[in-house]
Amino acid sequence: MKLGTVTMFVAITTAVMITAAFASPKKGLEIAIEADSRDKGFGDSTAQITMILMDKYGQSTERTIRNRTFEGYNEGDKSLVIFDSPGDVRGTAFLSHTKKADSDDQWLYLPALKRVKRIASSNKAGPFMGSEFSYEDIASQEVEKYTYNYLRDEELNGLECFVVEYDPVDRKSGYKRQIVWMDKAEYRVHKIDFYDRKDALLKTLTYEDYNQYLDKFWRSNRLVMINHQTGKKTELVFADWKFQTGMTERDFEKSTLKRTR
Amino acid sequence: MITYYARCFAIVLLLTQPAFAGKVNGTLSSRLDFYPDHADGTASEGRSVEVKIDAFHDFDKSRIVGEFIFRGDKKDSGRRITEARQAYFRSPFAGFDFFVGNRQEFWGKAESKNVVDVINQSDAAANDGKSGKLGAPSISAERYLDVGNLQLWYISRFREKTFNDSDAHPSSGVPVSSAQYARKNGKDADDFAARLSSFAGDWDLAGSVFYGTARDPILSVNSNGSALNPHYALQKSIGFEAQYTGDVTLLKWESLHGTQSSLIGAHDFAAAVAGIEYTYYGAFETIWDIGLIGEIQHDDRPQAAANQFGVAGVRLVFNDIADSNFLFLASLDRKTDQSFASLEASRRINDVTSVKLTSQFYNARTTTSTFGQLSDDDAITLTLNIFF
Repeated sequence: MKLGTVTMFVAITTAVMITAAFASPKKGLEIAIEADSRDKGFGDSTAQITMILMDKYGQSTERTIRNRTFEGYNEGDKSLVIFDSPGDVRGTAFLSHTKKADSDDQWLYLPALKRVKRIASSNKAGPFMGSEFSYEDIASQEVEKYTYNYLRDEELNGLECFVVEYDPVDRKSGYKRQIVWMDKAEYRVHKIDFYDRKDALLKTLTYEDYNQYLDKFWRSNRLVMINHQTGKKTELVFADWKFQTGMTERDFEKSTLKRTR
Repeated sequence: MITYYARCFAIVLLLTQPAFAGKVNGTLSSRLDFYPDHADGTASEGRSVEVKIDAFHDFDKSRIVGEFIFRGDKKDSGRRITEARQAYFRSPFAGFDFFVGNRQEFWGKAESKNVVDVINQSDAAANDGKSGKLGAPSISAERYLDVGNLQLWYISRFREKTFNDSDAHPSSGVPVSSAQYARKNGKDADDFAARLSSFAGDWDLAGSVFYGTARDPILSVNSNGSALNPHYALQKSIGFEAQYTGDVTLLKWESLHGTQSSLIGAHDFAAAVAGIEYTYYGAFETIWDIGLIGEIQHDDRPQAAANQFGVAGVRLVFNDIADSNFLFLASLDRKTDQSFASLEASRRINDVTSVKLTSQFYNARTTTSTFGQLSDDDAITLTLNIFF
């Protein structure tokens, strides 16, 4: 018994030391920068999205949205989300100017009032459209928004992956940490485990059905987010990806919110 | 006249486009009103149905937009309307976006009252909050400049405010007679407005000017007390808006200064709303958001219900699949001891149906105050919306 306890202590200590020895913030950051640089130059993109929300009993409801993204250089990306259904939010539009370090600028357009409302961006942990995705999950992922720690290599779905811990810099994030599986060949994210502020596993996001566009940019056509604490699930199904459509930064000004239909 | 033809042109084009069918949406709203404190001889309930059709068609660089309202009411003829709230043609020219026809626009930052929102007339008889507006027959131009977004407006014809029947609600109980105008050309007098809006960091700012007919009439009882006479003043004003967006706190300011010339003479006026909104995101370790709203209104125009109101409110957003939310606002005028409270709750039933419950309560110590005259107009309203 005593020997067993000592053996277990030695084993755990060794495991922790080995993990610590291999865990590397520098390598984690290098991986994040490489993944970011591989997606540079897409310019702008548009996509149709079907959001399928499922409760723990398997009952589902659908929403349709359109997404437009404009690549940022000095600052983060600018994105516009337009809601097509359900009917009561039809025409509502959400504009986000992502910042690399500072809080994002966000506006909401309410079509019944023809009103553009600036909203606080500190609701980042809140659910987006009642789904299992939070505002920070759908926001553009900038390198500066996390600190990193490379943990290990691991095979996932037959692909050799880096496993990297992402720690949000912003204390208003709903997460203490995220564990990200990214394939070594193309630096595409395949899975993220989200841990809440109490460090309990909250959600898992998986990326499926990757396609490459313009011989460079990889986009997943199916994102599945499972909330382990509530049993709810949300799927995002992307279709009709278009790149370098000729949109300009002007198309992402707050005054253009009124003209998106 | 130009805007009238443009409006007709927009409607005809919209209705004749082959691709039109794919770009039409609509809302059917069925509404029941209950008036628990109704006075003798006034309606105890109201029933109305509204159909709203939204349509647009894109050309190469231009667009036609239509938003048409058809509202029927069982008893209240004031609430019945056929309205082209929007029917305009938009096209780029010389660096500007030009809009010709009926348009709806919103200016302002505050929650309880928007003193700078001067473009549209209120469809007050609809009693449908801030969305109840009449289209402004206009030619307008917008351009994005380095310093912000510039809007220029020419409004070619005045729209009179709508009023409910005297035995309907809300109403002072006295019929409203035909309008009088301070301006020689009456409802054909032209209005002009401009606004520059911008943002820098956490601040959104806007400044505006307006020359034209005041949207709210001055109401006076005629000599034998049998009718209310609406008189529309000439207004020259400057508006200013600001919002600071903090992490969880919004600070809001709207002000309008100027002069009004009417049958009671020319008077300088000031109207302003200052407000704060504080939101607890994820309150009580749930996914709910709870917003606390506090605003102070000042308005020394004769049309205002009171010189000063203090406003307090709570907004609850449940962030659920049904998008359930709740808003309570209470306004208090301590000087004349009158108050108004409103409650609004809505949720989605399914993808094409939503339901909204609203209620309005007026309280006053004296019957001569604005809310005293509305004391039998407390209302509980249930609206079912079907989207198609």
